[in-house]
Amino acid sequence: MSSQPVTFLGRARELIGTPEAAAVDRGVRRFNEMRLAGSAEYAVMEAMRDRVRAIRLHSLRNLDKLLDRFADQVIEAGGRVHFARDADEANQIVAQILRDTGSRRVVKSKSMVSEEIELNPYLISRGFSVTETDLGEFIVQLADDVPSHIIAPVLHKTAAQIGKLFARKLGVEETADPTKLNQIARDHLREIFLAADAGISGVNLGVAETGSIVTVTNEGNARLCTTAPRVHIALMGMERIVARWEDAAATLEVLARSATGQHLSVYTNVVTGPRRSDDPDGPEQVHVVIIDNGRSDILGSDIAEILACIRCGACLNICPVFREVGGHGYGTVYSGPVGSVVTPGLHGMNPWWELPYASTLCGACEEVCPVRIQIPSMLLKLRERAASEGRLPGWLEKGMSRYRTTATDPVKWASAKKWLYRLSGLVSMGGYIRRVPGPGRGWTRFRDLRRPAKQSFSDWMRDRDGA
Amino acid sequence: MEREAFLDRVRHGVRAAHLPPVSDVLAELPQAQETDLVRLFRDRAQMVNTVVHGPMPRHSVPRSVVGIATGHDVETFATWEDLPAPGVAAALSTEGYERVIEDAGGADEFRRTPYSRVDFGVTGALAGLAESGSFVLDHHNGRSRLLSVLPLIHVALVRVETIFRSIAQWAHERPDTVSGTANLVVVTGPSRTGDIEQNLNLGVHGPKHVHVVLIK
Repeated sequence: MSSQPVTFLGRARELIGTPEAAAVDRGVRRFNEMRLAGSAEYAVMEAMRDRVRAIRLHSLRNLDKLLDRFADQVIEAGGRVHFARDADEANQIVAQILRDTGSRRVVKSKSMVSEEIELNPYLISRGFSVTETDLGEFIVQLADDVPSHIIAPVLHKTAAQIGKLFARKLGVEETADPTKLNQIARDHLREIFLAADAGISGVNLGVAETGSIVTVTNEGNARLCTTAPRVHIALMGMERIVARWEDAAATLEVLARSATGQHLSVYTNVVTGPRRSDDPDGPEQVHVVIIDNGRSDILGSDIAEILACIRCGACLNICPVFREVGGHGYGTVYSGPVGSVVTPGLHGMNPWWELPYASTLCGACEEVCPVRIQIPSMLLKLRERAASEGRLPGWLEKGMSRYRTTATDPVKWASAKKWLYRLSGLVSMGGYIRRVPGPGRGWTRFRDLRRPAKQSFSDWMRDRDGA
Repeated sequence: MEREAFLDRVRHGVRAAHLPPVSDVLAELPQAQETDLVRLFRDRAQMVNTVVHGPMPRHSVPRSVVGIATGHDVETFATWEDLPAPGVAAALSTEGYERVIEDAGGADEFRRTPYSRVDFGVTGALAGLAESGSFVLDHHNGRSRLLSVLPLIHVALVRVETIFRSIAQWAHERPDTVSGTANLVVVTGPSRTGDIEQNLNLGVHGPKHVHVVLIK
C-alpha cells in the first residue's frame, strides 16, 4: 500500500489530464474557497496561527518529557500504554490486544498512521474482520482502492461509481444519489458498529497533562468506534502530543478552519481513560499505542519541524503540483508538500528521494500552513541530501557542478553569458526560444522563452550608472 | 518495545533536533472584540444546520421540546436524568412518546442496544461555544454517550450563562474540565459528510437533526 517503489514522474504522467485528476482539482478548489471563507469570519486567525506554531514547536522540543507524562496520565486514568518502535511492532501489539480481549470484529475510524503501518492487511490476514467506518474510507475499502486525499479519501470517485460499487458489494439497488448512498452506508455500518468487539481510532492530539486523547470527525464514526465496543485501541504517532488541554483547544481552532473552513469539526471527542464506575456506556479498556516508525529519526534531523504538522491538508489543496496530479501520484499515504517531506523522512531516501522534487517551490504551502511550517526550505534540504547521496541523474549532477564553477568566477561568468547569447540565437525564432533539445525539452513543451537581450543586465546597469 | 528504550530514542532525537526558536506559548490568548455571545452562538449554530430555540425561561423548556418532537417523525425518546430543566421527560411521555430507559445494574452486562431504537435523545450541555456554534457534553454522573450519537434527532439544552466565546477561550478558563470525565464531546451541528463528490449530507453516522434549546 505505502511503499511501492514507483517513480513520481511515471505516476504523474499517467494521472495528469485524467478524469481522476480533474475531480481532485475541482475538489481542492472548493476546499480552498471554504478555507478562505472560514478564516474570513475568524478575526484572530493570524495570531492564533502564531500561538499554535509556538505550541507545536514547544511540544517537539519537550517531546520526551511530554510523552513520559502522557503515558503516566493515561495509566492514572485507567488506560494502558504501549510503545511501538516500528510498523511491525505496532501491528503485533494491536493483534495481541485483540487476541487478549477475545475481539474478532473490529471497527475503525479514519487514521493516517494505521494506513502508514498497513494495519488492515495485517489484521485481515490474521483472521480479524476489520471495517473502515469513515464513509470515504469505507468506500476505499470496498473498492480495494487507496485514499487520494488526507481528509477526503474518495475525492477521485464519482457518485455513479460509488453507486455501482455499493450495488455490487452490498447487494443494494444501484443509485447515483449521494443522499441515498449515504443512507445505505449508515444502515449497513450501524449494524456493524453495534456488533463490534473492538474499535480502533487514530489520535489528532494527545494531552500530556491529562492523558486525554482528542479525535475529531465530522461523521461521528470516531464517537461510535470509541463508545460502542468493549475495547478501544487508539493509534498515535508519537509527535501528536501537546502539553495542556488548552493547547489542544487552541490547535483545534485552526485545524478545521484550515482543512475545510469549518469553525470546528462536528465532533471533537475527548477520551480520558476507560468508562468510570458511574458511566452507563463507553469502553471497558482503553489502549494507546504510541508509534515511532521513523519519527525519532526525523526529530533528530534538519527536517524535525515537519513533525509539527497537524494534518489539515491545506498544503495539498493549495499546491499546484498536487492539484495537477492528485494524491495517488505520490505513491504513499502522505501526499502533497507535507508528504514530500514526511515520506522520505519516515521511509528513507530510497526510493522516495524524488518526492522533494515534485514541487515548484512557490511557497504557497508555507503560506497556508496553520503552523507556518517551512516546507519549501525542508524540500530544499532533502534535495541537498539527495544530491550529496549521488542520487541525481549524471547530466544534472555534471551540469550543476559546471554551473557552480562558472557562476563563482567573474571571468568565466562573463564569457559564459556571451556564449549563451550566441547559442540562444541558434534555437530561437522571431525573438523567442520555442523548442530546445535535451533536458530543456519538457520546459519548452508548454512555454516559450524570450531570447536573452544582447546586452546583459549588469552591463546595462554599468552603462547607466556611468552615464 | 520497552517504554524507557522508546523514550531514549525520543530523547536522542530531541537533543539532535534542528528546530526554529519559538515565541512564548503563554502569551495572552488572541481574542476578538466582545460582542453579543448569545447572538453569535445562534448565528453560528444555524450556519452548521443546528436549529436554535429560545432563549426561554426554564419552565418553558418542556413545551418547547415537545414542540420539536412534534415536528419530526418520533415514536421513542430517551433523556439524561439530570437535565438543566425539569419536566422534559414527563412532558414527552404525556404526549404519548415512548420512553426508553436503560435498565440500571448488571455490572458485567455490556449494554448498548437499548438506545439504538431511540428516535429522539435529550441531553444537557456543560457549555456553549459561540464562535463555532457548538455545545459541550460531559459524560459522567450516569449520562449516556450513545444517547447523543445513535438517535436521528438530538436536542441539547444549553444555559446562556455557560456560553463562552470559543473552544480556546473555554479551555483557557476551565482547564480542568477534561480530566473530570472519561469522555467529553464538543458537538458542532448534525453529523455530516462531504465525502461523495463534496455533496453535503447530514446524518451519516450520528444525528441528522440537532436542536438547541437556550435557557435564560
